[in-house]
Amino acid sequence: MTAIVTNLQEVLSQPQNKLIERALANKMLPVGYACSMVPIPLLSIKPLFPVRLRAAGITSTELGDLYLSSVICSLSRSLLEYALSGEYDFLRGFVFVASCDHLRRLYDNLAYCQNVSFNHILDIPHRYSEASVEWTIDEFQRFAKKLSSHFGIGIDNECIMQAIHKKEELHAILRRISEMRKLPHPPFTGTDYHRLIVATQIVPIDDAIQLAKEFYEMVTQRGKVPPQRARVMIVGGNLDDPTFTEIIESQGALVVADRYCTGSFPELEPYETEGNAFEIMAKRVLALNRCPRMMEGYSTRLEYILHLYREYAVDGIIIESIKFCDTWGVETSAMVTQLREMGIPVLRLEREYRLSGEGQLRTRVQAFIESMGK
Amino acid sequence: MRIVAGCDVGSLTSKAVIMSDGKIIASSIIKSKARPWESAESVMNEALQKAQISMNNIAFCVGTGYGREKIPFVNEISSEIACHAKAARWLIPNARTVIDIGGQDCKAIKLDEKGNMVKFITNDKCASGTGRFLEVMAKVLGVGVDQLGELSSKSKNPITCATACTVWAQADVIQHINDGVPIEDIAAGINTAMAARMSVLAGNIGVEREVCMTGGVAKNEGVVQALEKILGVKIRRIRNADPQIAGALGAALIAKEKLGEDK
Repeated sequence: MTAIVTNLQEVLSQPQNKLIERALANKMLPVGYACSMVPIPLLSIKPLFPVRLRAAGITSTELGDLYLSSVICSLSRSLLEYALSGEYDFLRGFVFVASCDHLRRLYDNLAYCQNVSFNHILDIPHRYSEASVEWTIDEFQRFAKKLSSHFGIGIDNECIMQAIHKKEELHAILRRISEMRKLPHPPFTGTDYHRLIVATQIVPIDDAIQLAKEFYEMVTQRGKVPPQRARVMIVGGNLDDPTFTEIIESQGALVVADRYCTGSFPELEPYETEGNAFEIMAKRVLALNRCPRMMEGYSTRLEYILHLYREYAVDGIIIESIKFCDTWGVETSAMVTQLREMGIPVLRLEREYRLSGEGQLRTRVQAFIESMGK
Repeated sequence: MRIVAGCDVGSLTSKAVIMSDGKIIASSIIKSKARPWESAESVMNEALQKAQISMNNIAFCVGTGYGREKIPFVNEISSEIACHAKAARWLIPNARTVIDIGGQDCKAIKLDEKGNMVKFITNDKCASGTGRFLEVMAKVLGVGVDQLGELSSKSKNPITCATACTVWAQADVIQHINDGVPIEDIAAGINTAMAARMSVLAGNIGVEREVCMTGGVAKNEGVVQALEKILGVKIRRIRNADPQIAGALGAALIAKEKLGEDK
């Protein structure tokens, strides 16, 4: 195993990893967020830095279950469990989006159970239109003011644009790496790539860029991974545990493309780098259409999946969603049928946030590969 | 024609099948042990003894079941879903729907006209609707799991088992025993609850004739008949082999294909 992969594993193993420790020592302020629709550049204005909330290695949710009912998704319950267990005590605040009732309940309970000094939920429209862009700009400006007064930092167009440029610098490297997944025999596994993508979401941007650079160097010097039986794309909601990808790949698949909340696409689509920063962020958040919470966007989401399917020469698609996820649960039903009608092999996996039922997962993935005649 | 074998290490039982010239020459079923490799070796040794050959005579062996990755002597492994699909087609040549109820999981598989697997669905993590459910209920009733089918055929007034959850159903069954309900009626209710749970899975993939049932529970006539009633289709009975060895049989058939002797 190469040094960078070991490094990534270490970063992912616990919430307060060594890079966060270093950032804290340098008086930087980590702010947790739990939805891809959060305007990340606003949380990247120094000394702030964004940390995507995850509950690495969680084994049970006793405390979370006390406050959240069993029909609330296990992601929300796991994140609350982590917060109540003190795992997020290093964070200086939380930011949510009213994307689904599950995250709203998490936000409410966090406010109720803990004395969180900064806890904000953004109200973002569910449609992309001129009016919704205006609304979102206004919402982000109010959010910026709140950040500014709470943390005592100046936020203007210039500093947000700087944050956007930094993000683009990271994205440019990640896009170059992702491009290699289009090769018949990529030089890295989907698991390693997944580790990198998640790691870049939980450390300060300069560290994320460094990790991406090291990963890029490693893959350009390394040989190809051994040929696998099938090229697979993963589609769905939150998936921040690379072990899930590892299990899929252990059955002979190679994950070459992804389209899920915590993955690379559509997040890696280029940012606008000129103009009004609030307008850029608002348009991006609404237009990327990454979550089924966005109304009237189903066909473009499907089209985007088909585009990745072709670009990355995918053999079959695995659609995963966490149990009780309203948005992805509904979207998946229609999508699975439509993709199958197009002759695309699809495996639907409903799962818990934390990895469980590993044996069954292996069997289903293996059978899926076999059903493709691979 | 070379000799091939399939070894299915399941959660409750392990099975082995040895084939030669397209025929089953030996098979064996044992209770699974704590370690999958021990189960695999025991069941295969038993089958080898019956066939009066040694492992050296096996040209290709495929492993399947939850313990498949831990079987030391196999040449290749395959999912039990693919194995049951393969076996079903061999047992019932025009099968289009396969319902397999194993020890701790159940699955419904849809095949195309050529026998290729086109769709499948498996149960969730819990044991409802699996062989384990029947095993627990049989224990509560104080009968053998293989007696449930025969008992339910004598039922005149089957109970309604409100749930297929193993824990709740167990409480339900105890209540019925305490109320003095005849054991036959309880057995029939249990079999119907099992069939109802399975029909949800089968309905999900869309049942097409011919329907074939594999796995140990296929030997329980009470479940099969209840399922026929719920689904509204006749389930073809397997006559030429024990339905419980279907996974190992499918593995042996895949082994045969790997040798290039059959397609």
